[in-house]
Amino acid sequence: MTDTTARTPFHRRQFLRASAASGVAAPLSITLASCAASGSGPATAESGAAAPATGPVDADNPFGVTEGSVDAVIFDGGYGVDYAEFAGGVFGELHPGSTVDITASTTIAQQMQPRFVSGNPPDLLDNSGAGAIGLSAIVNDLEDLQEVVDSVNVDGTVIADTLFPGVLDVGMYDGKLAAINYVLTVYAMWYSETLFEDNGWAPPRTWDEALTLGAAAQEQGKYLFCWGTEAASYYLTLAVDSAIKQGGDEVRLAMDNLAADAWSLPAVTDVLAAMEQVVERGYMRPGGAGTQFTAAQAQWSQAQEALLYPSGSWIENEMIEQTAENFVMTGAPAPLVSDDAALPYESIRNTPNEPYVVPSDAANVAGGKEMLRIMLSPETATEFARTKLASTIVRDTVPEDAFGSSALAAQLDMLEAAGDQTFSWNMVSTYGMTAEVNVLFNSFLSGESDAAALATGMQELFDRIREDDAIVKIEIA
Amino acid sequence: MVGRAGFDRVSMIVVFLGLPFALYVLLVLYPFTQAAYYSLTAWTGFSAEQPFIGLDNYARLASDSRFLTALGNSATLLLVVPVVTLVLSFALAVLVTFGGSTHGGVRGLGSSGFYRVVSFFPYVVPAIVIGIIWSQIYNPANGLLNGALTSLGFDRFADFAWLGDPDTAMSASMVVIVWSFIGFYMVLFVAAIKGIPAERFEAARLDGAGRFRSAVHVALPGVLGSVRTAYVYMGILALDAFVYMQALNPSGGPDSSTLVITQQIYTTAFSQGQFGLACAMGVVLALVTFGFVTAVLSVSRLLERRLGA
Repeated sequence: MTDTTARTPFHRRQFLRASAASGVAAPLSITLASCAASGSGPATAESGAAAPATGPVDADNPFGVTEGSVDAVIFDGGYGVDYAEFAGGVFGELHPGSTVDITASTTIAQQMQPRFVSGNPPDLLDNSGAGAIGLSAIVNDLEDLQEVVDSVNVDGTVIADTLFPGVLDVGMYDGKLAAINYVLTVYAMWYSETLFEDNGWAPPRTWDEALTLGAAAQEQGKYLFCWGTEAASYYLTLAVDSAIKQGGDEVRLAMDNLAADAWSLPAVTDVLAAMEQVVERGYMRPGGAGTQFTAAQAQWSQAQEALLYPSGSWIENEMIEQTAENFVMTGAPAPLVSDDAALPYESIRNTPNEPYVVPSDAANVAGGKEMLRIMLSPETATEFARTKLASTIVRDTVPEDAFGSSALAAQLDMLEAAGDQTFSWNMVSTYGMTAEVNVLFNSFLSGESDAAALATGMQELFDRIREDDAIVKIEIA
Repeated sequence: MVGRAGFDRVSMIVVFLGLPFALYVLLVLYPFTQAAYYSLTAWTGFSAEQPFIGLDNYARLASDSRFLTALGNSATLLLVVPVVTLVLSFALAVLVTFGGSTHGGVRGLGSSGFYRVVSFFPYVVPAIVIGIIWSQIYNPANGLLNGALTSLGFDRFADFAWLGDPDTAMSASMVVIVWSFIGFYMVLFVAAIKGIPAERFEAARLDGAGRFRSAVHVALPGVLGSVRTAYVYMGILALDAFVYMQALNPSGGPDSSTLVITQQIYTTAFSQGQFGLACAMGVVLALVTFGFVTAVLSVSRLLERRLGA
């Protein structure tokens, strides 16, 4: 390629040189300008938030909603957004002249980030999904929602008295109820009741029983567990649940507060050793590290090559199109290490999902809270349960037959059996650790690494986050 | 007359140079410098506060093992992907332009038009779709690749996780990127080779040069400019690679073996809420890119001088 253009009378190079010189000068002044602009950001934000005043407060309108619109951004995932639209309809009936604008989103962090920066966040945000904002990044800019659970619902009962026990713990940040997680979620090992009955199997209550069951599965050319690459972290959930049941609150607090000895506690070491046995004896379906997670889940629910799958109770909804005809999905709590465990076998992790937050800078904070109050009222919560085959954190919205859903029935049975022995932890999503957890667990589950390497890797991850002053820590008690 | 010419000249500079330059400053230089400034702050990305912390973010990056892994992986991609893509696409271009029969006029393989169209197909498919298709091909249990290998008797590939094994994940991902770009660069090289007078190939053939010699000594010097451009483009793409890597292995692959800088920027900014740190990573990536482009241009200038092109 000969460069003839350079020899033409038009002096391209000279022009570029001149423009480069001015190009150096221009950004300098712009950089200064951009500092100034960002410095004045909060001021405009405050003036923006101050404008819509709250109206008179009474029992039917505890937050003083005035006429206007509520801007709600809802994660459009497994549960869709129609339940929020239903609640928006109820809002309009209760407050004539007001409307709720529902915006569906699947990339919460990217879409909401500029709005938070410019002081113009939505009035209500469902911060869920793979693209959710790490809550510690915005926790100081969120309303305390205690006011909402202390208020009465549309039927006149105090909301706090209508909820399942312990469901608000996960939204507490340093004594502030920063988020209300709307959808009840228990974490269990899910299996087909039909398959287990046909073979005379029972879900394992201890890891020893799990190994025995694994051997029985192997005889039939099946596996005990399977996993998918993006969901390898579900086995962290299983391991931590089991260790908490074995070691009690000491383990839970060490995990949630990223303690320096979290991964060397005896209960944790014992559970990992048991899981290492599962891997070593070939009870994990091979290939999981390279399998997309829904494809892996279908190996369990459709092909039934694996007996058990550890997951949250959303699994029935997620796999509803890919579940074998005779697969009666039911769940069992995580196994114990031994009978002298700190918590009973029935105890279960109950960490609700779909965290709803109300940003303090929102134009209509009262509207956001009122929307939550309506969503937590019986009519809307029942509508959610009926259409989603999942329960909200509001009790008694699911009838005896659980709308014919065996998994939903199992979820409520497990909760009832656990009574007040439920627990919650949330460090993985609080600090956005999923990607790194997946890397460590993919290696462990495929047999590339072992329990010791897994524990070291997890501890290094914990240490790095704990010692990083740039990351806001949430103290869990 | 002089005044009018002066006005023409000025208005031309304003319209054709000033306006684009203003847009360039506003839409390119301004965001660049803004990102560079953010990299000196502890901005979370979700508040208006941007505490200035100097070069702390860069100091953290120097000891951030995950970032260094990503940097290494991006460097591997940069070294391997452009070379492999361009060598293969050049070879294909040679075959369809003058790799045909050595009797009669210089021409490509029979039905080369068909090959040209077919090998261009992958370029038409969006990157994310390519990523999804290939992650299905690599599926350990029922993917095409393991199905083909096991049916040929290679039983050890039953349930082999191409994207889940640290030894193969990176190579498997590279194959996908190379596959998707070979056709495009082949078409580019075909056009460049067609620009070389056919007499040169005929003369080389009369002098007894075979296809390989003709390719290296006649075609290659003739298309060096295109190769340089293609190399720069492929290099920048390899440094990005976000869509492919995110589709094939969203968590960064086994032992983080396919984690690239752009993925690390994304998670640091959006899921960990550290935009300042993510901007610092972006600045490092930009510097690496500039360094790469400068290196390619200087090397190709040296080469051109030697070849006298």
